[in-house]
Amino acid sequence: MKNIIEVQNLSKTYKQLKAVDDLSFEVREGEILGLLGPNGSGKSTTINCILSLLEFDQGHIRIFGQEMTPDAYTLKKQIGVVFQDVAVFEELTVYDNIDYFCGLYIEDKKTRKDYVRDAIALTGLEEFVKFYPKQLSGGLLRRLNIACGIAHRPKLIFLDEPTVAVDPQSRNNILDGIRVLREKGATIVYTTHYMEEVEQLCDRIIILDKGRVIAAGTNEELKELTDIEEKVTVEVDGIQQPQLDRIKALANVKEVTNSKNVINIIYGEGENNFEKLLEFLGREKIRYHKIYSERPTLNDVFLELTGKELRD
Amino acid sequence: MFFHNFKYTLKYLFKSRILIFWTYAFPIILGFLFYLAFSDIEKNEQLDIIDIAIVKEAAGEQRENSEDEASGNSEILLNAFEALSDENSEDQLFHTVYVSEKEAKGLLEKGKITGYLLAFEKTPKVMVKENGINETIFRQAVSEILQTAKLTAVLTEKEAGRQLAAAAGAAGGAGAGQPDWNAVAEKVLGDIQEEQANIRDISGGNLSYTMIEYYTLIAMTCLYCATIGMYAVNCILANMSRKGMRISVGPVKKGRLVLSSLCASYVVQLLGLALLFLFTIFILKVDYGPNMPLVILLALVGSFAGLSMGIAAGALIKANENTKIGIIIAVTMLGCFLSGMMGITMKYVIDSKVPVLNKINPAGMITDGLYSLYYYDTFHRYWFNIISLLIFSALMIGISFFALKRQKYKSL
Ligand SMILES: Nc1ncnc2c1ncn2[C@@H]1O[C@H](COP(=O)(O)OP(=O)(O)O)[C@@H](O)[C@H]1O
Ligand SMILES: [Mg+2]
Repeated sequence: MKNIIEVQNLSKTYKQLKAVDDLSFEVREGEILGLLGPNGSGKSTTINCILSLLEFDQGHIRIFGQEMTPDAYTLKKQIGVVFQDVAVFEELTVYDNIDYFCGLYIEDKKTRKDYVRDAIALTGLEEFVKFYPKQLSGGLLRRLNIACGIAHRPKLIFLDEPTVAVDPQSRNNILDGIRVLREKGATIVYTTHYMEEVEQLCDRIIILDKGRVIAAGTNEELKELTDIEEKVTVEVDGIQQPQLDRIKALANVKEVTNSKNVINIIYGEGENNFEKLLEFLGREKIRYHKIYSERPTLNDVFLELTGKELRD
Repeated sequence: MFFHNFKYTLKYLFKSRILIFWTYAFPIILGFLFYLAFSDIEKNEQLDIIDIAIVKEAAGEQRENSEDEASGNSEILLNAFEALSDENSEDQLFHTVYVSEKEAKGLLEKGKITGYLLAFEKTPKVMVKENGINETIFRQAVSEILQTAKLTAVLTEKEAGRQLAAAAGAAGGAGAGQPDWNAVAEKVLGDIQEEQANIRDISGGNLSYTMIEYYTLIAMTCLYCATIGMYAVNCILANMSRKGMRISVGPVKKGRLVLSSLCASYVVQLLGLALLFLFTIFILKVDYGPNMPLVILLALVGSFAGLSMGIAAGALIKANENTKIGIIIAVTMLGCFLSGMMGITMKYVIDSKVPVLNKINPAGMITDGLYSLYYYDTFHRYWFNIISLLIFSALMIGISFFALKRQKYKSL
């Protein structure tokens, strides 16, 4: 697979603050790459450096195998960006906004008309084309922001936290839209601090903290990094301390905690742990009204690697 | 791309309520308010004859002493005021008493006169207590008369010199003695005929001291072009707006984009200006004098100066759009105030006390250009103002150039 973006040893400081610290990674053709990190971990700064908007202290950035500079217009033609903050003209309608930004890339009016129509369909804004941004809800505004960034059918798309403060309906629309773009052949860099999104959407994930890569890989690969195999939660009517101790003594159990009759059991390894637990509960005649098992999350990975929670 | 951006820039500028308010609606509203205020004043003031006093000689000084010192100025002044105080004339403007300086001071204190003139001084001085319209007219009259006097002197000297040279030429270099004073006087009188009209203007209903307010209104409108220009530039620069970031990642040359947006801004401005001219000329019946093409040229150049101010505000001030609009409006209003928006007295004071202020104030340049077109028949002062405006514009664009050209930023 070809590398679409190569970032080598990128560092960027704002006055004293080191926002990006010797960052290296690549983005492969046709993938959705997730940049996951808490607020302030340097995701937006990284993207703005890649796009040649920010000066950086050191590093090399190549896109489509070519050095990225502010004047690299042939590269820029193939790139679409959806910035973290909504950037549209308040004075122009939804349609005019999309047409304006698309027109910076596509000169031909007929082609542009098709492109704009497709972008509107993709983001589900058909009913709102005559609206002004002020009249749109937060979710619709974000969708307009996306439409403005991708209408010119770029081969490489950056989306910087496109779902922040968005209602669930818009969020689903946005995530579906991104999948469609990938199916049509675009390579996508997607930043977020929501781990669920990258888990659902991304082929590969890079976890950032304090401007550094702390882990990279597929969802499964990252989860291997924790020594958690499985987390089981049991909600019981009541349980005694000796019974808890016996759970702890079961095979593969790493940790057992009990708060208000909700018992969390963490398994480090092994198979059929859940089945064995069910047997045990039956034997001990412990009554429960809910029981479920989970795989470790990226939050567990983050916690393990940094000692802090990913959520804010 | 140039036209695409031009078209959409026009579209969003016209849709921007705040910009359209300041550049289209506000000048018209203000013009209308001026009209309401002045039409009243003019009606009342026309009936008023202004009481003044003239002090012919300094206290305790011998007449002969002051005679040769100040004769040039004071003679003309005294004659002119005599004419303007003629009770049989329809154009009577002043009621003049001739008293000593001490008496004049007393009369002024008691409010019996608007002011008095120290005619014996080398540069005759006007003493007033307040700054009202009557005071302004009084001052204006003195300054106009002195201006004419100066001009007369210059023209006389020139004409005499010319005649001497001609006579010397005719006599084959043999010592030509005296110029023909009669011929000189005739020529000079002809030359200053139109200047004389100015003095008559002051005395007649023709004097429109409200003109200056309309001139500052034009100046203000020209400079408000800065708000439009600022906004257009702001939308393109990545470090000034989010839209600018989006535009900057696009495959377009920034220079072309800026040029296209500024052209659109200028078009929006010219339409606003046209509206204001139509409104003031046809509805308020403002008279811009006989030189309308030059008035329009000045407005075009003035708007360009405003645009350049907007480029500077857009490229150099790191603040949000509304703050920048606020700054532009405040600076413009201050400039207009200094050049006479709230009364010509201000212009008079600045021009005589701190002349440099209105020489670097673009509102002052525009106002003074219009003023000089109306009051003088020579165009030196007009062209001086046009050139000053162009230099101002070049300076503004010059200091913004590198900020405009920048493509990568330290922070966004
Ligand atoms: N313009 C700026 N000036 C100074 N510090 C900044 C600026 N922009 C971002 N930062 C700092 O740099 C760090 C990384 O910010 P950012 O790239 O926005 O993170 P993220 O996008 O992951 O939330 C943060 O600590 C932030 O406070
Ligand atoms: Mg960010």
